[in-house]
Amino acid sequence: MARRIFIGLGISLILTLGTISSAQEATPADNSMGASMASQAADAESRAGFRSLDKDVQDLKKEVLDLNRDLFLLEEELLFPANSQVAFFISMDVGEYFELDSVNLKIDGKEVANYLYTEREVGALLRGGVHRVHMANLKTGDHELIAIFTGKGPHTRDYRRGATMSFNKGIGAKYLELEITDRVKKQQPEFVIKEWE
Amino acid sequence: MLRWFFIVVALYLFLAVTLQPARAAKDGPDPIVVKDPHYGEVLFYFYQDDYFPAIVRLLAADAQQQLSEHEEQAELLLGGLFLSYGHHLEAADIFERLLANNVAPEIRDRTWFFLAKIWKQRGYLDRAQDALGYLSAGLPDNLRREASMLQAQILIDSGQYGEAIALLQQWKGRTEWASYAKFNLGVALVRSGNVDAAVSILDELGNLEPFNEELTSLRDKANLALGYSLLQDGRALAAKEPLQRVRLEGPFSNKALLGVGWADAERENYRRALVPWMELRGRDLLDSAVQESMLAIPYALAKLDSISQAADHYLNAIEAFYEETNRIDRTIGYIESGKLFNDFLADNPLDSTGWYWRLEQMPDGPEARYLYHLLATDEFQEGLKNYRDLSYLYRNLEDWQQSVDVYRNMLETRRQAYTERLPRIQDALARADLDGMVNRKLEFDSLLNNIEQSNDWLALATEQEFEMWGEITGLENTPALAANIPEAEEVRDKILLLKGVLQWRLERDFQDRLWRIRRNLRQTGEALVDTQRSRRKIDESMRNEPLRFDGFSQRVYGLEPRIGGMKMRVIDAMANQHAFLQSIAVGELQAQKQRLDIYTVQARFALAAIYDLAATAEVAAK
Repeated sequence: MARRIFIGLGISLILTLGTISSAQEATPADNSMGASMASQAADAESRAGFRSLDKDVQDLKKEVLDLNRDLFLLEEELLFPANSQVAFFISMDVGEYFELDSVNLKIDGKEVANYLYTEREVGALLRGGVHRVHMANLKTGDHELIAIFTGKGPHTRDYRRGATMSFNKGIGAKYLELEITDRVKKQQPEFVIKEWE
Repeated sequence: MLRWFFIVVALYLFLAVTLQPARAAKDGPDPIVVKDPHYGEVLFYFYQDDYFPAIVRLLAADAQQQLSEHEEQAELLLGGLFLSYGHHLEAADIFERLLANNVAPEIRDRTWFFLAKIWKQRGYLDRAQDALGYLSAGLPDNLRREASMLQAQILIDSGQYGEAIALLQQWKGRTEWASYAKFNLGVALVRSGNVDAAVSILDELGNLEPFNEELTSLRDKANLALGYSLLQDGRALAAKEPLQRVRLEGPFSNKALLGVGWADAERENYRRALVPWMELRGRDLLDSAVQESMLAIPYALAKLDSISQAADHYLNAIEAFYEETNRIDRTIGYIESGKLFNDFLADNPLDSTGWYWRLEQMPDGPEARYLYHLLATDEFQEGLKNYRDLSYLYRNLEDWQQSVDVYRNMLETRRQAYTERLPRIQDALARADLDGMVNRKLEFDSLLNNIEQSNDWLALATEQEFEMWGEITGLENTPALAANIPEAEEVRDKILLLKGVLQWRLERDFQDRLWRIRRNLRQTGEALVDTQRSRRKIDESMRNEPLRFDGFSQRVYGLEPRIGGMKMRVIDAMANQHAFLQSIAVGELQAQKQRLDIYTVQARFALAAIYDLAATAEVAAK
């Protein structure tokens, strides 16, 4: 009698195996292959329970994202009103001759930003991301921007280059993009500052 | 700003990156051009897998209409970001709206396939099935095979075994996928009650020649399933062969050794049965097969008339089960205290969220060994993801709560400063008689016109010249000079000369001076216009500023309760998610404990039987 009980237990434990959907799943622990009606019902119930929770989480995510959008806009409008707002962006095109380490920005002779890039951030720039490195409030009129880029240049030598630009701040937000591109002919990086309205 | 990507839309990039990076790089469609720094900024976060800030920036840029150049791409990117972030229902809404006509069939199919996978993992079987239903012929072969497998699994999970069997039987070829399909076919057949057909399928799989670890595991699994099916069917001899095909050191070896032992025991060859069972003695007691072997060994010993040895083994088993039960109880207590999930959050910093994340290792601690295999279940993993995401949301809301508090103070300070400055400004404005200045300027204009018309060159003389003119005319009228003497005549001539020279100079400079004064007057007029414009702006600001403050105040004060309310809801959702995960973990441990309880009862029962037998024999001997 004991033998039957043991075997019964063994079989219910081991008889075995859930479905497999990929190679990675070929070594799971003991799911039940011969799933009984009761365990199937329990699975369905558990799925329904999870789904209900998941639906709540999804709803919350949506609401928190919307709230974040509203807060982000409020923060920007409050700290950088459109009339005085100037945003400075960094971007990279190709980047074969320059490996970016940091960017230093001076507006009208005053240092306003000194940003050190992580490898992950540089990767994102190389893939086409654009980084908003600084936001400022400036009066209408003429201003001067000096950007100093440091990093590794051709042949992985330390490299430091500046780019200067005078720009006029009118009424309304202004965006300036500091773009690092490759000048293939000279095998040198090129630093260009562009204005966006 | 030309910037080339190896994607046609950001969604494709997302799918290419997640599913097939190499292929995406090589066969990627025509690149696109980023025409807006705000769009690029979203990509900057997206490429760092920071989906939450990427979504927020995209939503904000869209609200500010800063993505006019990328409207359609932006919406697809949003769908992709939602998907990456695990916000699958919102993602699906976007894709349902956009994917029908706007993108290539391959992108569309990849998207639906990916959604189907997420929904299957999250238990949305109906939606997963719908998503698979949208697939056309655009999916690459490897994904098409995976999609078919997914379909079969969904059918099995939802109890539609007939449909699953029909689908799996269509699988042709000798690929890895075909082996998995065969295994799942066996599962479906067993679950539908067709064990005989399943046996032949599993036997075929159990004899395959594996060329990698996955297939070797699959073969072990099939052999184990087959062996126990035969054992249950009373075919102990036949069961031995597949069970002996299972690797001795693989993840299924314990169960296989136990089964081999039972196959021998079934045929009453207890001495042989002891060989694999004894091998199990030194293995991890957590494994149910090892636990069962602790009862099987004394059972065989008793059958071999080694009663005293059997009794010792039963006592050992009872002791071991007791200790293991205590450990499980402690672990249940630990989990119920909530520390496990706090440890889990502490071990997993919230710098990245998203659907791809999986917990690979339980937090260190005694409970880890009991819960390790929970990590292989979708339910636990997806539950953990939600718990982690909720924790991220909570921290995000907390950060905002502090920021909004700062903004409220900032706003109040600005309002106070404005209120204090306003009277001073109003006073200064009242003192500045702008209208008077304009009138004076107009008077000057009129005066200058008269001077020009009358050619009044003396009117534009400098002070010095005017004094000089006065002196000359004064001298001219001196009575002494009227005398008719040569000296007086000489002086009169000199005075006349001086007067003539001065007049000549004044007439010569007249036009130049007129032009200069007109220029100055024009500049003054312009300055006055600017001042009037500034004044209007100041007036407008004074009218608008209070409204602006009110607008900001309403937003800040309106957002504060929204954050607070949302935080409460996140806390509730975290508690629910926590309870759900806890119930899975504790349920798992309770099942282990229940099994140990049953084994303990069996061991006690067998031990009592042995004592009874011994007592009866003693009485009989007396």
